[in-house]
Amino acid sequence: MGLWGLRHAVAMAALCLVLLRSRGTEGLRLWIEEGEECFSQGVKYEGDSFHVSFVVIKDNSPWHHSANADGIDLVIKGPSGEQILDFRDRKSLTISFMAPSKGIYHLCFINKSPYHESIYFDVHVGHLKSLKPSEQHLQDAHVTPLMEQIAKLEEALDNIVFEQHWLKAETHRQAIVNDGMSRRAIPKAVIESVALVGASVLQVYLLQRLFNRKLGASVLKV
Amino acid sequence: MRREVVVSLLVLCFIGSDVVQEGEGIWLNVPPSKNKCVSEEIQNNVVVLADYVVIYDDPAHVTPTISVKVTSPYGNDLHHQENATHGQFAFTAHEAGNYLACFSVDGSNPGGGDVSVNLEWRTGIAAKDWESVARKEKIEGVELELRKLEGAVEAIHENLLYLRTREAEMRTVSERTNGRVAWWSIMSLGICIVVSALQLWHLKRFFQKKKLI
Repeated sequence: MGLWGLRHAVAMAALCLVLLRSRGTEGLRLWIEEGEECFSQGVKYEGDSFHVSFVVIKDNSPWHHSANADGIDLVIKGPSGEQILDFRDRKSLTISFMAPSKGIYHLCFINKSPYHESIYFDVHVGHLKSLKPSEQHLQDAHVTPLMEQIAKLEEALDNIVFEQHWLKAETHRQAIVNDGMSRRAIPKAVIESVALVGASVLQVYLLQRLFNRKLGASVLKV
Repeated sequence: MRREVVVSLLVLCFIGSDVVQEGEGIWLNVPPSKNKCVSEEIQNNVVVLADYVVIYDDPAHVTPTISVKVTSPYGNDLHHQENATHGQFAFTAHEAGNYLACFSVDGSNPGGGDVSVNLEWRTGIAAKDWESVARKEKIEGVELELRKLEGAVEAIHENLLYLRTREAEMRTVSERTNGRVAWWSIMSLGICIVVSALQLWHLKRFFQKKKLI
């Protein structure tokens, strides 16, 4: 009876941990139009670690190149509207901070260029790595230390997934730049050669015209 | 006594799970006239599970409704719903590429402001139904948690392999660009030299004709 009861309790604790574990990670690609666009993410416990990352993917059109040179702004606002963090003109960012209070945090992107930007965006809220021992930890004392360790491991893996997503986004951005350069190398050389040939033909023509005129004038004078 | 502990733990769990449901997912603000789109690059044979709910906090007005459209990279419609306040969709990705989910406000929107939508988007390992796996294979507790960890680690490993192939591709492209820039610059320089030599020869002939040299 004792062993069965204990097993049952462990199973219940496991179920608990399954339900209470917060995995708020979304790896998404978003389109930000000109102006301000806000997204929100909930934080359940004070002191949770809040990770945000984004990478601006440059569209591979050369016409927008100068306009896309600056990045976008990100403003992070807390549940009561106070501004927590502010980043201007970033093309890529990964930041983590400790959430000062629980509630819904607003992440506002401000796009100053007239073209729409596409960003890879990821947000992750971690609980067990929080520095402040909240009352949740005291309740977790019902759970065996083994389960708590496993939950910590799971959260560490979630962090790895978060970092990997950012790495994938940065790699994608580099791949776009690389491909663009590779494709434009040959047309650039061809246009250059054509321009050189054109310039020298123009040169010859102008010189011939100049000497013809000067010679013609001197013949007439004589 | 033990039964009481178990029951209280269960009650705590269900209360806790309510709290959990509130905070999950990301909230989008859908403007009244435009489409708000979200996409993700998904590999082949990956399960995608998504849940969306319109958040309204004004009980006096009717809930605004949205329409949802999910398309595959080749343009096939995977899920289309109009006048919905909540819903969910699930699919297995058969083509690798960018899957797009677009939200737009339709129908009634009293108040006229942005509509808040809570979107929970899970792909791959996060979309796996662990309860059914636990039931089917009759595992529970520590073993289930460790299975989940194993799944997560496998997903990380796959991501890493994907990053490695992308890096290899980028390396070949870089080397090809290097080769192209080198050879075609030499060609450009060669054309420049040839053209200037031709120029000299042509002008010399011209001046000889005009009896200046």
